[in-house]
Amino acid sequence: MPAPPVAGHGGGAQVAASPMLDTYREVLTPEGVALHLPAAGPVPRALAWLIDLMLRVGVLMVMSMVLGVLGGFGQGLYLVGMFLVFWAYPIVLEAAWNGQTPGKRALGLRVLASDGAPVGWLPAVVRNLMRTVDMLPFGYATGLVACLCDRHSRRLGDLVADTVVVHVAPRRIDPSLPPATPQAPGQSLLPDEQAAIVAFGERAPRLSAGRQAELAALLYPLTGTAGSEGVRRLYGMANWLLGRR
Amino acid sequence: MKQEQFVLRHQAEWEAFELWLHAHVDGPRRKPGAASIGRNGGLDDGQVPARYRRLCQQLALARRRGYSTPLLERLQELMQRGHAVLYRAPPPRWRRAAEFLVAGFPQLVRSQAGCMWASLALFAVPLVGLFVLLQFRPELVHQLLDPQQIAQIEAMYDPSDARHALGRDSGTDWQMFGHYVMNNISIGLRTFAGGLLAGVGTILVLIANGVNIGAVAGHLQAIGHGDPFWRFVAGHAPLELTAIVIAGGAGLRLGLGLVAPGRRRRRDSLVHAGRIGARLCMGVAVMLLLAAFVEAFWSSTQSIPAWGKYTVSAVMWLGVIGWLWRGGHGAAVDEGDDAS
Repeated sequence: MPAPPVAGHGGGAQVAASPMLDTYREVLTPEGVALHLPAAGPVPRALAWLIDLMLRVGVLMVMSMVLGVLGGFGQGLYLVGMFLVFWAYPIVLEAAWNGQTPGKRALGLRVLASDGAPVGWLPAVVRNLMRTVDMLPFGYATGLVACLCDRHSRRLGDLVADTVVVHVAPRRIDPSLPPATPQAPGQSLLPDEQAAIVAFGERAPRLSAGRQAELAALLYPLTGTAGSEGVRRLYGMANWLLGRR
Repeated sequence: MKQEQFVLRHQAEWEAFELWLHAHVDGPRRKPGAASIGRNGGLDDGQVPARYRRLCQQLALARRRGYSTPLLERLQELMQRGHAVLYRAPPPRWRRAAEFLVAGFPQLVRSQAGCMWASLALFAVPLVGLFVLLQFRPELVHQLLDPQQIAQIEAMYDPSDARHALGRDSGTDWQMFGHYVMNNISIGLRTFAGGLLAGVGTILVLIANGVNIGAVAGHLQAIGHGDPFWRFVAGHAPLELTAIVIAGGAGLRLGLGLVAPGRRRRRDSLVHAGRIGARLCMGVAVMLLLAAFVEAFWSSTQSIPAWGKYTVSAVMWLGVIGWLWRGGHGAAVDEGDDAS
């Protein structure tokens, strides 16, 4: 792929400490903005691994059928192919194909360097060679324990290679809100206040009318009214905040 | 500035950037500069870094001013896609790989001399010790190998049995080549990875291999099957044994990174040792590939007289040692090609 001029590599990147109990990882880039990296937990990763396993077994079966007719020569090629499928498959795919094996692509996962940059060849080699240890004593038990202990669900291979597996598409927030005339809030709101109002708009329809009114009453200083009218105004503000004017 | 004005002012810029990303990453791959300006939305590859930094600034501004979530999300997504393109590792180059094999790898091995000597000792002491011991106490072999194994190696290198002696048809040569690639390179790579268990895995593999090879060689020598055995192993031993020792050294370095991180944080020290180990492993894999080739197609040829085999072996030993000792000598130390 063509390589446009590359800015200094990761030197200024740093990880912001997040107070939340979330696997969400924020990395500050040298440009001073934060990358949002939702780290992937053990379950989607195990599923991706299973898909890859089936694919690899499938490739080996096809190879054994084709090469079986070639006798000893075919057998030799088959064993070389087995070596490649076993060792080179994850390394080459992760390094050359945007950090994704087919299984990871199917599950929407991607391997990244811990500073949020695409994974390079050496880290890809390290994290996949270390599978040998993560597999011990059986079925990736060591990797699972490491994954559950680490804040960003990294197995030992990820820790040594300094990589992290993330969900590719962060959940797209395209919330469906109850229809209401968009209405500007009377005062400017901080980002988390905005988020709270939008979240109210998303979730309130699932609550009882009494509970909706009770929550909306908390924002009496903002809406200036209580009861179902207050709820409607909050819906209006949520719509306005999402740019529906 | 109101959000509407902000969007109105920069909208075109974002769309151009998005188009470029689309043409560049999602579209068919092409050579740098080959993409026509029109299809890239008017953005030239050279302008992209500056545009990306502007986008970052606009995102930060939008965030600070508390603009609406959809706008922030859109800018965030553009920024992350741009980041992924601009910060990716350079693609590997064949020339670089060749340079690494000729110069970088021997340099790297020498720079880890301590671990390499330790690895050599862990491997060679049991090997040579057992070999010598079995010349005086041949019955001890039964403590080390099980009877089946002993019967198998005795039959394999029986000098009186013409059928089994070394020569094979070419089909089997290829088969054995595949077997050696799968088996030996896997062992080499696992020897390195075992280092993550504070070096214990590597140490065990090295000693076990030393014991096994020492026992086999000692036993065959003691019962007078030495000649076919030495003729067989002489060819590939220089590459194979050295490669195992280097893989062991890489594993010990990794274990050392965990146990004695020195002035780094333990994690950083592990990451550093991992990078060194990965580069060593690439060289080890190439060495073992060559060894597999020699083992499958040269070691098994029976027609070559003993002196021919031993001469070739001597030349290869000299070559390997000379390469590791002098390779890349005086050249600039290459600190990690695509280090991150």
